[in-house]
Amino acid sequence: MVSALGHLGRRLRMPRYLTIYGVITAILLAIGLIVVLFPIAWMVFASMRPLSETFGSPPAWFPREVTSTAYTKIFSDPRQLRYQFNTYIISLSTAILSVGLGALAAYGFSRFKIWGAEFILLSIMALQMLPGVSIIIPFYNLARRAGVWNTYLAMIMADTVFALAISIWLLKSYIDSIPTDLEEAAMVDGCNRFQSLYRIVLPLLAPGLVGTATFAFLYAWNDFVFATILRDGHDLMPMTVAIGNFFTQANRDWNAIMALNTMATLPLIAIFVFLQRWVIQGMTAGALKE
Amino acid sequence: MTEQYRTDIQDTPRPRRHLSPKGKWPRQATGYLMIAPAIIFLLLVIIYPLFEVFRLSFFEFTGLRDQTATFVGLKNFVSLMDDRIYWISMKNTLIFVIATVILHALIGLVFALALHQRWPSNRLRDLVRGLLILPWLFSMAAAGLVWALLLNALGPINYLLVASGILERAIDFLGDRDTALWALIAVNVWKSYPFYMIMLLGGLQTIPPDLYAAAKVDGADRWQRFAFITLPLMRSILVATTAIDFITTFGVFDLVRTLTNGGPARSTITLGYYTWLVGFRDVDFGYGAAISVSMLIIMSVAMWFYLRLGREMIYG
Repeated sequence: MVSALGHLGRRLRMPRYLTIYGVITAILLAIGLIVVLFPIAWMVFASMRPLSETFGSPPAWFPREVTSTAYTKIFSDPRQLRYQFNTYIISLSTAILSVGLGALAAYGFSRFKIWGAEFILLSIMALQMLPGVSIIIPFYNLARRAGVWNTYLAMIMADTVFALAISIWLLKSYIDSIPTDLEEAAMVDGCNRFQSLYRIVLPLLAPGLVGTATFAFLYAWNDFVFATILRDGHDLMPMTVAIGNFFTQANRDWNAIMALNTMATLPLIAIFVFLQRWVIQGMTAGALKE
Repeated sequence: MTEQYRTDIQDTPRPRRHLSPKGKWPRQATGYLMIAPAIIFLLLVIIYPLFEVFRLSFFEFTGLRDQTATFVGLKNFVSLMDDRIYWISMKNTLIFVIATVILHALIGLVFALALHQRWPSNRLRDLVRGLLILPWLFSMAAAGLVWALLLNALGPINYLLVASGILERAIDFLGDRDTALWALIAVNVWKSYPFYMIMLLGGLQTIPPDLYAAAKVDGADRWQRFAFITLPLMRSILVATTAIDFITTFGVFDLVRTLTNGGPARSTITLGYYTWLVGFRDVDFGYGAAISVSMLIIMSVAMWFYLRLGREMIYG
């Protein structure tokens, strides 16, 4: 059967991908796309239509009546706005801090002979893989003792530690690919090391910095563990924790949960559309490369 | 994903002597100065807590407001051994991790292979790849809540299962002790499989096409080419990816905290969640630290494995 089809394919001069394997691949991908996209669509639908449609039997597969009640409720609730503000503050600060520290360290590792560089870089990567939950107790103690518990700074620092490793690795590989000749020329012309870094390397590194910042931003945005233990009350609560709190309430307001969920996810999807290459590179940077 | 992104330590360009400006300042000192802020930051914010968690595990804390610590030696670890909840957490965590890793690897491999095929259009392939990555952008909490809605007794999944006759009546997947852990596994599989897909796709792209051409000439069929070329060459990346996944999944907390709080009947309590429960609900830092230490020990065994493989990958 298979060979008959293949033979037929050759006879009819069908494109090479139109084989039995091609068809199986297409079917698998179609199923995969449904399983991936349906939950996302369901989340967005549930946020903008009456609950009776979401929970009907059968449920309405596409929204019939569109309402913005849940979104109006969120935008008119100062607390909800505060959660979003907190998430943005923490994520942006983490991105800036880890890119700043990361770029400097990456340059040092790339351009200078550092004693034990390989060991240090591998250790940093290994540390970054530790689940945050295994050090929550000393983290909490440390934040308390340093007097930063229940501040943005505590959460930003915790997130930065975990985003920093990826930043160093990504930026180091980026700097490695920038030829040293340019810097040499600048130094011959009288620039010192920091001037040449600022004037020559930094502009060339700009896309790398944006990509790395994206990754750190993403990490902090989705952090849940540190936001749970390093703060108390509603003032500094980010969206991840706020959504979870919604769910534990006895009366689940699914419209609001899904509206908040949509608002917590859409910015990331938007970023991803524009910086896909970088997000993908950051994903694989955690693995010491092929 | 190949040449351009390599970070092999071997490839680091050797610094050139004449690059240094003439002066009394030793040139290497600048390098150390540049890595210093990041290293000091890491030492303070992660090495110190790591050291501290080991120290705390030998202490007992009494008093809620002003904690007084007493050195108790290995007492916390001895208590762990007869702690029923600890062993339930261990069992749940291992089921969660092993099921997740196997499903991730299978699904990731299938999609990576599918994306690596010859496509009618590269643009279409990149679009599909982008769409398949989307779940990875969700936070664990957000992904969990989406699935809580889907798996709800009144949700679409139950509707389809009942309407098609697979189930007699709707199941509240997250509220049933037989299904809750598997519901969490499903969420984690959905959210994190893109990591494997991307890693394995990167691995596939490094296999030279000549190998397949040569095998074809020798009469190897599609399955033989997969079993004798693709799999062996992908082994190291597959092992590295699963090791990373093992470690990150081992600390699962967000999902449990958001969706089930360990219930029903402790069927979803995990080591990560139990650590938090002991440390922050019971305010028993010493015992909580002991649970963390036990987790760290199990993970470092995996890490050791992982680093050895990483070294093999780098130096061949």
